[in-house]
Amino acid sequence: MSGEYIVFLFLSLVAVSSGTLMLISKKVMHMMVALIFTFISISGIYILLSAEFIAAVQVMVYSGAVAIIMIFGIMLTNHHDSSRNKAPLIRRLLVGISIILFSISMYVGISHLKISLAEVALHENNTEKIGIALFSDYVIPFEIASLVLLVALVGAIVIAKNDNVEGGNQ
Amino acid sequence: MSSLNWYQNNYVIVLVFLILGILLPIVALFLGKLLRPHKPIHAKYTTYESGNEPFGDARVQFNVRYYMFALMFVIFSVETIFLYPWAVAYKKLGVFALVEMLVFVVMLVIGLVYAWKKKVLRWT
Repeated sequence: MSGEYIVFLFLSLVAVSSGTLMLISKKVMHMMVALIFTFISISGIYILLSAEFIAAVQVMVYSGAVAIIMIFGIMLTNHHDSSRNKAPLIRRLLVGISIILFSISMYVGISHLKISLAEVALHENNTEKIGIALFSDYVIPFEIASLVLLVALVGAIVIAKNDNVEGGNQ
Repeated sequence: MSSLNWYQNNYVIVLVFLILGILLPIVALFLGKLLRPHKPIHAKYTTYESGNEPFGDARVQFNVRYYMFALMFVIFSVETIFLYPWAVAYKKLGVFALVEMLVFVVMLVIGLVYAWKKKVLRWT
């Protein structure tokens, strides 16, 4: 058992267990902290995969920016209700069966998956390689990403500004 | 030693730092709990609010304008992320990459100008 394997086991354990913690905890802020732990351990898994840049992006964007925007979303809503209403038994049963079926099908799909490995030293000049690939082979997706960001910005402004106008008229 | 091993051993330091960062508040708070006397009175449990009497609930509903700033922060931080590989690989890419990045930045500047025109950046 190599050290890499132990670290992978530890990181995936943290990721899965804090994901579960996010689902079962009753307070929204505790859920957020659990979610941030999941994000950070996933970035550790990226580092194991020699994807340094993606790991840094994961920390910056997900456990930084996305976590902040989720906390703002929590602060903007009323969240005093900590009780949960239980779904009827038949629905819970159906959800459980579909979860089991989904995990079986995912396992069958993944377990014999063969990805042809290219022998590339990803850990050397990782960011530069991503830059060269992004700006020579994937130009169109990159520009579309800017368009998607623009649409997200404008759409959010349209939605939130309308609320503000109604609030101002009170 | 191969460069992959060298790369992974570099991250052992990060791991140690991370474990220290997680343990430090836990140990500090636990030691504080062990050492400090435990004599609770009612006045000690009131919220400290710079000498004022606290009123209302701390968990109020915040203004939606904060959310706009958070959203713009997320979008421009994603833009910054795309700037990093561009800046690192710029010498090997040349002028065409500059044009691509200009298109990308102009797209987001359009969004910023739109937000400015819609008075999102203003508080009042």
